Amino acid sequence: SGELYCSLPNPRNVRFESINMKNVLHWSAPEGTGDGVLYKVKYAVYGVGKWIRKPECRNINRTWCDLSSETSDYEDQYYASVKAFLNGACSDWMETTRFNPLTDTKIDPPMVSVSSTDRSISIILTAPEKWKTSPGEESISLLQVYPGLQYNVSVLNKKTKKRWFFSISNNTLVVPWLEPGTAYCVSAQIHVPTPVLDSGFSK
Amino acid sequence: TAGVKIFHFGACRVPMSMTEIRAGFTAIKANIQSRDPIRTLSILSHPHSLHKVKSSDRCCITYQLFTFYVDKVFKHCRTEDSFVNRKISSIANSFLSTRRKLGQCREQNNCMCGEESTEKFKQILANYEGLNVTSAAMKSLGELDILLDWME
Amino acid sequence: GDALLPAPQSISILSTNMKHFLTWSPVIVQGATVRYSVEFQGEYEREYANGSWIPISECSLTTATICNLTEDISASVAYKLRVRAELGATRSPWGTTKGFFNRAMTSLTPPQLRAVADGHHLLVELADMGPSFQFRVLYWRKGQESRVQQKVLKEVSSVVHLDTMEAGAEYCVKAQTHVQAINRSSSFSPTQCVRAQGDPSMWL
Repeated sequence: SGELYCSLPNPRNVRFESINMKNVLHWSAPEGTGDGVLYKVKYAVYGVGKWIRKPECRNINRTWCDLSSETSDYEDQYYASVKAFLNGACSDWMETTRFNPLTDTKIDPPMVSVSSTDRSISIILTAPEKWKTSPGEESISLLQVYPGLQYNVSVLNKKTKKRWFFSISNNTLVVPWLEPGTAYCVSAQIHVPTPVLDSGFSK
Repeated sequence: TAGVKIFHFGACRVPMSMTEIRAGFTAIKANIQSRDPIRTLSILSHPHSLHKVKSSDRCCITYQLFTFYVDKVFKHCRTEDSFVNRKISSIANSFLSTRRKLGQCREQNNCMCGEESTEKFKQILANYEGLNVTSAAMKSLGELDILLDWME
Repeated sequence: GDALLPAPQSISILSTNMKHFLTWSPVIVQGATVRYSVEFQGEYEREYANGSWIPISECSLTTATICNLTEDISASVAYKLRVRAELGATRSPWGTTKGFFNRAMTSLTPPQLRAVADGHHLLVELADMGPSFQFRVLYWRKGQESRVQQKVLKEVSSVVHLDTMEAGAEYCVKAQTHVQAINRSSSFSPTQCVRAQGDPSMWL
C-alpha cells in the first residue's frame, strides 16, 4: 500500500520489557501528540529475511503490544518496530535494539513455602515458569531454561535481628535447631551465574 | 562469580571464563549491534542454527568458531571508541587462551570433525564472505551472545 | 623533540588478589607538571593485530605514577605494558615492562574470616574480594580433626550458614580463596573456634 507522507513525530523509547519471558513491546507516544494517535507493529526474527505484521496490534491506541508468542523461541533473537498514525500523517518505523529473550528477560523471585516444627523450619522453593502464550501450552520451569540456576535463601531471626544466608542448588532446605517460640522470616532469590541474571528477593 | 564453566568434550576438560567473556560482551553489545544495520542476515544462526549440531560435533564446531573469531573477526572490529576497543581486546585474549585449551583437546583426538560440523562451518564462512569484511566482522562480533548461549 | 624527556623508569606491576597495578618512578622536570600515558598489549594484539597497543583512557595524561590495569588484564594470557611521559607537546620514549605479565602470577592472600556461633548454628562471615573469588571453607568439631567438612562459597554477601552444632561443642573454621580463572588458591586463614550454646550433656 502506498505509504502516507510521514511527517508525524516518531514513537519514542521503543523497547521490549520481559519478565519470565513474557515479552511485551512498549513505547511512548510521539512528542506533542495528544489523543487519537494509532499505531501498528511489526517484528522480525533476526537473520530471517522478512518483517511480519502483528494483526492484533494494528490501529491500536495503546502503547504496548504482547509479542510473547512471536518471540517464544529463546534460541532466536528478534527486532520489533512501531509506526504511528494521526489525521492522515504517519511517523517513521521506530525499531527496538536486538532482543535476546534468554539474556534480556527479568526473573521473578521463587515461590517460597515454609513449614515448621517447634525447633526447625522446612523451606521448599519453586522457580517461576516460562510465560505460557496459551493456556494449553506445556509448562516449562525456568530451571529447564537456565540449568545452572541457584537459590540464595535468607533466614532472619526476628528476635535477634540476625540474618543468615544459604546458597543452594536444589530446591529444599531444612534449618534445624532453631529457638522455640521465635519468629523467623524466610526470603529467597534466584541467581543464574551465566548469563548473569538475578531475581529480587521474595517477600 | 568467576563463572568459569568446565566444558567436557569426551575425555577433554576445557575451563572457560564465561562470565568474564559475557561481561565484556554485555558492556559493548548495544554499541556493536547498533553498527550492524542488516536485520535479515545472520552469520551464526540462520539458515542453520547452532542448536541443531550433534553433541559429538560440539567440540569441533567450538574450536572452528573460536579460530574463526580469533583469525577473522576481532582484528576487523577496531572502533573509534577506546572503551569498546578495550573490551574487544579482553574478549579476543580470552578467546585466544580458550582456543589454546581446545587445541590441546584436538591433539588428544577428542575433537573430531564430523560431516555435519564441517558443513555447518562452511555455511558460517559463506555467510561471512557474503558481506564486506568490516560489516561481516562487526555482525559476527554482535552475534557473540548467540555463540555463548549455544555453548552454555 | 621527544628525546629531551626521558622515559619513565622502574616500571613494575603490583598484583595482589587479581587486582593489577602498573607503577613507575616520576620523571622530574623542574617547575613543570609531567603527565603520563599507559598502553597495554595482550597476546592477541601481538600475534593477530600487528603488535598493536591499546591505550587505557583512565591513565592517559595522568599525573599519577600508578595505573589500575585490572579491567584490561582480564584474560589468562601474557601481557606487556608501556608508559611514557608527556610535557606539553613533548613526549618521552616508551618505557616498557621487562618480560610479560600473566594474571596467573597474582599473589593470593588468605581471606578475612569471622566464625560466629548463633545458638546451635555455625556461621561464617567473609570479606568480599570481588567476582573472581570463591571461598573454600573447612570446619570441624574440635577434637575430631579427622572429620573435616568443606563448603565452597561463591558469593559472600553477608553471614553464611555452615552447619548446625552439637550443644556445647566447640567447632573450628578456616578458609582459603580459590580463583577458578587461574586455577590457584591462597593459603589458609588462621583457624578460629567458637562454642555452640547449650549443655553438652543434653546430647547423652
